[in-house]
Amino acid sequence: MKTSRRKFIKQTILGTSGTLLVPHFLKALESQSSGLFPSAEKILVVIQLSGGNDGLNTIIPYQNDLYYQLRPQLGIRPDKVLKISNELGFHSALTGLRELFDDGSMAILNNVGYPNPDRSHFRSMDIWHSASDANTYKTTGWIGRYLDSSCSSCHSAHRAIEVDDTLSMALKGNSIKGLAMKNPQKLYQATHNNFFEAISNQNVVHPGTESTLHYLYKTMAEAVSSAEFIYEKSRVQQSKVEYPQNEFSKRLKTVAELIHANINTRVYYLSLSGFDTHTNQEAQQQRLLHTYADGIRAFVKDIGDTRMEDVVIMTFSEFGRRVAENGSGGTDHGTANNVFLISKSLKKKGFLNDMPDLSRLDQGDLIHQLDFRSIYATLLNKWLEVPSEKILNGPFPVLDFI
Amino acid sequence: MVLKKNDKHFLQRAAFGPLISANPVDLNISNWMKESAENRPIRVVEKPQITPEMLKASKENAKQIIVKSRDQLIKLNVSWINQIGEPAAALREKMTLFWHDHFACRVRSAWLAQQQNNTLRLHAMGSFRDLLFAISKNPGMLQFLNNQQNKKDSPNENFARELLELFTLGRGNYTEDDIKNSARALTGWAFNPLSGEYIFREKVHDYGIKTFKGKTGRFSGEDILQMVLEDKQTARFITEKIWDFFVSNEIRDADIITTLAETFFQSGYQLESLLGEIFTSTWFYDPRYVGNRIKSPVELLVGITSQTGGEFQNPQAPVFIQRALSQVLLLPPNVGGWPSGTGWIDSSSLMFRMSLPSVLLKKMETDIEPKDDGDANNETNVAGAGRLGLTVNWKRLANIFTRSTAEESLDVIEHFLLAKPATTANKNIIRGQTGKSQNDPEFIQRAFIGYMSLPEYQLS
Repeated sequence: MKTSRRKFIKQTILGTSGTLLVPHFLKALESQSSGLFPSAEKILVVIQLSGGNDGLNTIIPYQNDLYYQLRPQLGIRPDKVLKISNELGFHSALTGLRELFDDGSMAILNNVGYPNPDRSHFRSMDIWHSASDANTYKTTGWIGRYLDSSCSSCHSAHRAIEVDDTLSMALKGNSIKGLAMKNPQKLYQATHNNFFEAISNQNVVHPGTESTLHYLYKTMAEAVSSAEFIYEKSRVQQSKVEYPQNEFSKRLKTVAELIHANINTRVYYLSLSGFDTHTNQEAQQQRLLHTYADGIRAFVKDIGDTRMEDVVIMTFSEFGRRVAENGSGGTDHGTANNVFLISKSLKKKGFLNDMPDLSRLDQGDLIHQLDFRSIYATLLNKWLEVPSEKILNGPFPVLDFI
Repeated sequence: MVLKKNDKHFLQRAAFGPLISANPVDLNISNWMKESAENRPIRVVEKPQITPEMLKASKENAKQIIVKSRDQLIKLNVSWINQIGEPAAALREKMTLFWHDHFACRVRSAWLAQQQNNTLRLHAMGSFRDLLFAISKNPGMLQFLNNQQNKKDSPNENFARELLELFTLGRGNYTEDDIKNSARALTGWAFNPLSGEYIFREKVHDYGIKTFKGKTGRFSGEDILQMVLEDKQTARFITEKIWDFFVSNEIRDADIITTLAETFFQSGYQLESLLGEIFTSTWFYDPRYVGNRIKSPVELLVGITSQTGGEFQNPQAPVFIQRALSQVLLLPPNVGGWPSGTGWIDSSSLMFRMSLPSVLLKKMETDIEPKDDGDANNETNVAGAGRLGLTVNWKRLANIFTRSTAEESLDVIEHFLLAKPATTANKNIIRGQTGKSQNDPEFIQRAFIGYMSLPEYQLS
């Protein structure tokens, strides 16, 4: 492995006739690769369930009369629930997670939200991405600001990768931004056409000239070199685990291959959308939760027990849904929701806090107990090992699940 | 096609770059400003006939209304994007775009969105005072920022907060008490959902005594707006935003801004004279500002269409492209508006932005998928890959841009498209792409695509 990386570096230097910022970037790589191998760096995988997953029908309070009263049709009958405690059970589509829960690789936080919850998808997702208060507006995201604070001298674009065509606000920092790509091959093809290569290679851009044009060339150079590096490293990695046939699993598989390829990426970001179930919720959520859980099961298997000690998967949704069902077989936008954590390094397992109190609602919605930024703070401080206060614009209590 | 250096910079900023249809030989800025300030209200959405029964109607009905409104929002979006680049309205449209970002609203009803858009357009270059009063009584705004729910017994501070923080004074120039008191003063500012018109609901208005910025009285909403305008900080805040938009995102010259803000304040917030002062100054043409501003996605898209005169084959394609570029008109991310400057650029967005000319002008396939925003009611994936092309009359462009040698033609095209000259390396690369013979029927097309695909074309 080590020789192939050296070889790649050498080839790149020879291939790009003494230009650009590539040397910078490669220097950084070289110093990183001379240390431990394989990398012991901790990795965070963030999974976003877009549209507002119905948390109450995901983790079901099957002993709670209020739940069945408010959801006469959508409430999931106790005999259909995968019971995991005296009070709570999984949606039956989550069989894939059952094993992880049983062997202590999963933790669930209930009632996660933020003060003055916003019920608009866009705004609430904005708040989760930027980690801002409900009444402040930011144009950078928490992972982006993590990149700013941990990696100000890094010249690689792939410290954080979103597996998608476009980059979410969560991964945009003030000076550093993550990299968006569906898969290494597509990224490589996009950056390695003759024209882009020519303009990237034949323009000498002097570092230090902080003009906007320089910023564009720098971004381009980093994209080209990251694309090449990731492609070279990952193409020898072929996952042998069988994944379900769908786009979400395909993306998870890409992440697994990149983790196996040790490309120095600390954060991966993926989305699964379709959770906005105002109508026909039962079938829709069933399908999506299956996609989610079966994909995760394959991914965890692929990563393997040892490496899962270095990986935490965090799953969230921008909000939960109204406790009472609506009149058309669905639920409307709500507030607090559950967050899942999956890892072989969890210090606390199972349910980490109380289930939602259905007798105390605010306009029909759950009242949050735990600010989501406490989870971010924990992951930043204890997992990615950077001080979270500046990134999150204030102190949030750090939790003890890792 | 003769363009003086300063004219080009002016057109890059006041419009969307030089246009093939308008060849300024001797561009007179004040004449140009008058000629390109035509107010053209958009009227593509018909007023819905809403009855009281419909407001109480079933979920299914509501859904139908939303779906219909969504289609109409797309229609409105496309009408606007087509109008933006037209020379006769260029400056007013650019200002409308500026205000749409400043007073950023997501209005679900297409009718109200159109009404708001026309309000911004009407006052875009007039007095900021009139604009502020109009937008504060605009149904779309009142709905988006929950002033409909702002009542004496249960005040909702959302509109009042954004009014002070984002629309007028800026953060740090008011207290939390100012917000509370102005929210009380704004109670009762509402709209009638049946007529879609502003109404003042006396019954829910708080007529009590309020204290706002050190003054005490039975203030109305109008009094608050008036006091906000009497504070010079509002003039400064607006001038700074105008500066960022028209002059530079990166550098602020505090002295010049102070002078501009003072004149703006003294003029009673006259926007046209503020713009005129900027465009006719000498500092506006300082090399450090020229070609140093990153185009927003909409500016980039409108630049490509208007500088080629291209027309979309699929009328919904521009909506898809806006989504792929993360800036959809009428759907700003939040009340804070869109990112700006380098905030638009990450490695994936840059690669897509640079391949956009090929996608649009060469009909190159793209398999990019815009993000699903999670809303079940919002699917505009109508224009798929390969259906995004523009129809361009290349012969017409060849007539305009062909000179006696290929080299000369390329120089004219470069000068037309780029805010600043390309590097020698890039000139050579494009020469390599176009071939040497301008008798080649594809010469002009290759040259346009080449220059538009350079990082330099991302700048205005």
